[in-house]
Amino acid sequence: MRKYFLIGTVLLFLLGCILVYQNITYNDKKLHVVICDVGQGDAIFIRTPRGSDILIDGGPDDSVLSCLGKHMPFWDRTIELMILTHPHADHLNGLITVLNHYKILSFVSESLINKTAGFSELIKVIANQKIKTRYVYAGDRFLLSDSLNIQIVGPNKEFLQTTSPNGLIGESGEFASLEILVKYNFFSALLTGDSQVMELKDAISSGLKDVDLLQIPHHGSRFGLDQEILNVLSPKIAVISVGKNNKYSHPTPFILDLLKSLNIKTLRTDQMGDIEVISDGKEWRIK
Amino acid sequence: MLLILGFRFYFFYNNQPQLTDGQEINFETTILSQPQAVGSRQAFTANYKNQSASRRIRITTSRFPEINYGDFVRISGKISNQNRGVLMYFPKIETVNNSSNILQSSLKSINILRQKLISLFSQTLPSPSSSLLLGIIFGIKEQMPKDFSNNLKTSGVFHVIAASGMNVTLVGGFISAGFAFFLKRQIAIGLSILGIIFYAVLAGLEPSIIRASIMGILVFSAQIMGRQTLAVNGLVLAGFTMLYIDPTLLSDVGFQLSFVATAGILYIKPLFGKQEGIVSEVSTTIAAQIATLPILLANFGVYSIYSILVNGLVLWTVPILMMIGGIGAILGLILAPLGQLLIYLCYPLLLYFEMIVNFFGKIGGVISIQALSWEFIAGYYCLLISALIFSKRK
Repeated sequence: MRKYFLIGTVLLFLLGCILVYQNITYNDKKLHVVICDVGQGDAIFIRTPRGSDILIDGGPDDSVLSCLGKHMPFWDRTIELMILTHPHADHLNGLITVLNHYKILSFVSESLINKTAGFSELIKVIANQKIKTRYVYAGDRFLLSDSLNIQIVGPNKEFLQTTSPNGLIGESGEFASLEILVKYNFFSALLTGDSQVMELKDAISSGLKDVDLLQIPHHGSRFGLDQEILNVLSPKIAVISVGKNNKYSHPTPFILDLLKSLNIKTLRTDQMGDIEVISDGKEWRIK
Repeated sequence: MLLILGFRFYFFYNNQPQLTDGQEINFETTILSQPQAVGSRQAFTANYKNQSASRRIRITTSRFPEINYGDFVRISGKISNQNRGVLMYFPKIETVNNSSNILQSSLKSINILRQKLISLFSQTLPSPSSSLLLGIIFGIKEQMPKDFSNNLKTSGVFHVIAASGMNVTLVGGFISAGFAFFLKRQIAIGLSILGIIFYAVLAGLEPSIIRASIMGILVFSAQIMGRQTLAVNGLVLAGFTMLYIDPTLLSDVGFQLSFVATAGILYIKPLFGKQEGIVSEVSTTIAAQIATLPILLANFGVYSIYSILVNGLVLWTVPILMMIGGIGAILGLILAPLGQLLIYLCYPLLLYFEMIVNFFGKIGGVISIQALSWEFIAGYYCLLISALIFSKRK
């Protein structure tokens, strides 16, 4: 009995150390944007300066949980905002697991559905847990109390209706995916999901330009970008969320060459694992 | 006994319903073991019954909707017959609701408890800590992220998340010690046997837990009758019963590992003499690994020499985690915050465990083999058995 009491006390002491340590590292009043390494798919985690948590997409499987575990303090089991850029399996399946592990306060997506079992499961779980749901279009924005600004820059209603006539997402060709601009004072990051050239050009024609961080659309697919878009956005750094040896041969040489010719520093999750960008609103750095 | 088993095998394989490649079948069955989720898929084994004979079919399907044990399902699809058995890929699966069957409804209610435990743990700690703890205490693996479970495999400690002997001993010992205060000893032991069965079902009825439960129940029933048992007899009887009921288990990796490792601990470990504490754990590891090396190599292709070191570094945390986490689980079902407090207490040890596993998992395997010939495996075991007999004689 005394032995167990002793072990318990030692563990309590260690737990206290972890609490103090994690409180210092995770609540540092800075913005953290993490491109999670989830293999072939997307999952982006944002921890706001005041410690709110935002998850954009969940990747194809459970790997997103490891990323959340690494970038949130262990006692924080709430994700304030969960966003799905578009209902494809490599972006949504992981969200179902996240819903079982965390308390989600609100869910945001584009107004499209998919016929897959994964999508119906996601919608069922969200409905069961009575999570507040909103469908958004270009122009909608969320202003957080820590002066973080989350802007939806695409797609607009018209684009959504032309590319997906019955509100049902296509599996290939042009389809709509939420494009999200995260702004924190002087720092900005554009997260593109699986969007393609036409949709990005729409966003640019409504005034989108000059970002610090650009997520290369659609895992570096051939049809995500062109030189004109890159010239307007002029990103300081580009990130590609992509799986090792994936069957689509992403990222394509076309995109890699384009980035190289414009001298844009490019980081890839298949080479670096999780990519974390930290900003205090003026300066930013990669961890 | 071998003779009876021989006959059983003969009749079993002669009476199997013949299934040919590409054949369309349609059948109803109850899922009897927990499907394993791997990435975006889940896999399970279903019993296909045709008149008197039955055959196990390995089914792979998409991850959602999730199937749980105790579910009664109607499966229809195409057979794909390959050298590794009868398989079905992405058949149509419908869950049929009929809880008239007692077996099925009790499985269902245990499954509800199981889901409650999973959500208690996974809503208290981040992953993979929560899934590691669930694995250690209950052998529940379906929440384990793929990268972490790969690291567990390469660093050679995957066995800690399979419910087995140590869990059964703790469950049985805990119940009999707890009730021995105010009940007759026999009744207390009877209750521990019930507890072990309940635990085995909760843990998902994998071969390792069934083997350990049969052995554990034998030990406890021998205590009621006031007799001594030999662990070896228990192991043989457990193997006999399981193979008699399901001959296909012989080719199941989990079954092979569990039996050969236990035999290794029973026969090889005593040769190292008496040890205590961490030395004893290391020698248990070495004994089990000597016995299972060919199986590990044949099935996983890699073996890490560091695994002995890793086992030595982490195994001491397992009984502590089982105790604190187990009590936390029971309390958590009654009053969630109280249980969570104890689960938090496990967190420092879990972090330590993960650090070691991830570090050695990245270094990877040391021996890696593409294909292992059966001659090598046979030769290895001939040498091992003869060496054991020699050393016994001395």
